[in-house]
Amino acid sequence: MLSFISFWRASAIVLCDLASTAYYIGGIVETAVGKSAPWFILAVMMFSYTIRAVYMESCSMFVRGGVYKVVKEAMGGTLAKLSASALMFDYVLTGPISAVSAGQYLAGLLNALFPHFRIGWHLDPGWFSVVFAIAATLYFWHENIKGIHESSDKALKIMQLTTVMAVVMMAWCGLTLWLHPARLPPLTLNFSPEALGWATKFGWLKPVGAVGVVMAFGHSLLAMSGEESLAQVYREIEAPKMKNLERTGLVIFVYSMLLTSLVSFFAVMIIPDSVRLSQYGDNLLSGLAMSVVGPHWARLLLQVFVVGVGVVILAGASNTSIVGANGVLNRLAEDGILVDWFRGLHKKYGTTHRLINLIVGLQIATILLCRGDVYMLGEAYAFGVIWSFVFKTLAVMVLRFKDRRPREFLVPLNIEAGGVEWPIGLALIFLALLATAAMNLITKKVATVSGSIFTAIFFGMFLYSEHWNERRHANAHSSEEKFNLREENDLAQIRGEFKKERRVLAAVRDPNNLLHLNKALDELNSDTTELVAFTSRIRTGLGLVDEAVTMDAEEQRLFTKVLEVAEKHGKTVTPMLVVSNDPFYAIVQAAQAVGASEVVFGVSTKLSAEDQLERLAMTWGSLQTDNPPVRLRIVGAGVEHAADL
Amino acid sequence: MAWFQKDDVPATPVPGATPSAAAPKAVKIGPLLSEATVLFPAGGLDKAAVLEQLVRAVAAKAGLADPGAVLAKVLEREQGISTTLDTGLSLPHARLVGIDGILAGLAVLKAPLVDPKQPELSIRAVFLFFSPDKREAFPLHLQLLRGVASLFQAPLIERLSASPGPADALALIRHSEG
Repeated sequence: MLSFISFWRASAIVLCDLASTAYYIGGIVETAVGKSAPWFILAVMMFSYTIRAVYMESCSMFVRGGVYKVVKEAMGGTLAKLSASALMFDYVLTGPISAVSAGQYLAGLLNALFPHFRIGWHLDPGWFSVVFAIAATLYFWHENIKGIHESSDKALKIMQLTTVMAVVMMAWCGLTLWLHPARLPPLTLNFSPEALGWATKFGWLKPVGAVGVVMAFGHSLLAMSGEESLAQVYREIEAPKMKNLERTGLVIFVYSMLLTSLVSFFAVMIIPDSVRLSQYGDNLLSGLAMSVVGPHWARLLLQVFVVGVGVVILAGASNTSIVGANGVLNRLAEDGILVDWFRGLHKKYGTTHRLINLIVGLQIATILLCRGDVYMLGEAYAFGVIWSFVFKTLAVMVLRFKDRRPREFLVPLNIEAGGVEWPIGLALIFLALLATAAMNLITKKVATVSGSIFTAIFFGMFLYSEHWNERRHANAHSSEEKFNLREENDLAQIRGEFKKERRVLAAVRDPNNLLHLNKALDELNSDTTELVAFTSRIRTGLGLVDEAVTMDAEEQRLFTKVLEVAEKHGKTVTPMLVVSNDPFYAIVQAAQAVGASEVVFGVSTKLSAEDQLERLAMTWGSLQTDNPPVRLRIVGAGVEHAADL
Repeated sequence: MAWFQKDDVPATPVPGATPSAAAPKAVKIGPLLSEATVLFPAGGLDKAAVLEQLVRAVAAKAGLADPGAVLAKVLEREQGISTTLDTGLSLPHARLVGIDGILAGLAVLKAPLVDPKQPELSIRAVFLFFSPDKREAFPLHLQLLRGVASLFQAPLIERLSASPGPADALALIRHSEG
């Protein structure tokens, strides 16, 4: 079954990544640029609104509008593979940085609590966070093997808890500042030598003030890492998809803007300079909890709460990174870039478990390599996200000229001149991203070196894999879905699995004639109605019972198209294939087995609507002696016949 | 039964009106038949010959002027999609101009016939009917197809074959319908 999630769940998945950065961004950026860090974090969060718009426009063109698809459509396969490789770097690091940061918070809390319980232990935050991060990653690996719906449940609960924490924290910080007013952070930049990277070799850069601003902006950019998950969750968002994506974008913007920016300001304004980076650099919110007004026990309780929530949201970011990376790799696999073996489905859960294993394997390797150093991970982290944004924005801009289909959403600020609509807004976003990415190449040594190596390796792997696939499949390349087939000897067995009060069966045969399915999806209320997309494999003669349940190429193509259509509508559909010697019997048996109150057909090229309905009425009667009503509908272009039996 | 095209009603079911609300009452089959239109043809006939006997019986009962033309109409329909079901029932039918209601006849076969279109199916009973060739009568036409197919299941056909004559067969049908 193909199922979809609400915009709240989608927001929760994205926010697990995006909002979790509030826990470590302040420490990383202040280490790099000094006390003005919150201003740049705020600027990045505001800028993220434009990235949201870029993603919305790309999703309005392609349901699976991730960076790979969009760049490929605009600029070809090579650049698409390159941008997807960069994005993979982002995803592979998102998990570790979040999980390691959670471990750092937990270690900090435990070390603070031990003396209160007269325990003489002191945990090494680095190694403790490594062990914790691996455990958290493995937990979410298991959740993702089970499937996205299960994991979105967890994400939603995590975000509900985070919201409570955020409100308590904001109120407490507000009270603290009201009782002990503090000045806003200064706007002056104070780069650490590490944060300047190779820029020290370019003396002419120093006098140019704007360069420093771009540098600091680049160091803060990882604050909006997570926006890229929008494209991955779009496929899963229920109808109306674009409206719900817009809502998701707004929810994550408001939420992350408030949480990430405010927390960063509060940290600089409330935590004393003497301990902020030295003691709380890797667990800034713990420092904030311990620096607000109130008795020690209350602040300690607040720290316990903050760390508790932090541990779950940061661990949840591991989940989002696995979901996102799995989405990207799935798209690549569907496009023949990864060998088919990776697309094998888990026998029980139907998930692409080998891709998930690959992602989690890389994440665990990263956790071990970083040895718990959050700053190092943060330094490397932004490489993938900025370059994937650069490619994506450029691609969306190129598509404005290359593909002039009307879009449901356009990035604003478009000026018509000389008969051409110029995407000024997109161009400005692209230039800002490109300048930042270029500056990061110079200033972020760790990111440039590790990101380039990782991207090159992934790019090489994609190239080799694609080449191998092409040789293997010769001209038979296709971009079809993998289906998890389950065999049932008795159709009646499946009836109990349909829990909704109403069932509609749409008989499909020709992937190029799904108008009736579109119509059924248009009308479908997924909350109350199950939609079964049914096709029959017609076989005559003996031996039907022993027929193996594997789809042939035609059925594969048909159901791939069915899923595409369902995804476009964001509505749930259950594909069903029945082997029979008579299509009418097959349809009627399936419809009666699922308890369908409506059966929808396309217009036949061989039979008149009357003949179709006559045969269906006869078959329906011969197979059903009781008299539950059914509506038969034949839907074609501009015509519809319906009969209630 | 409701039959409509896009022009008639909105394609989407009206909110609150479930299909069950729109569903018609089942058509009673028994009253459509009489002893004169329930036949027990002799063995050795093919389907076309059985149809001819049935058409003549129904035409005679209803006073149709040109049985030959009516038979031609039935045979023309028989060239289309099969009217024979797995249950052993054949359901030939035609829509005729100039009639106002349903005309029907039944042939119970002591020995099974082979369906010329689907040789793998044996015919044990032939239910022939005519409905008015009017758009508003098509729902009834479909409902009758469903109703007859539903009523004439293999056990009833078996019992009809064993019945001694039209009167008993009719009684059996009416009893089965309740």
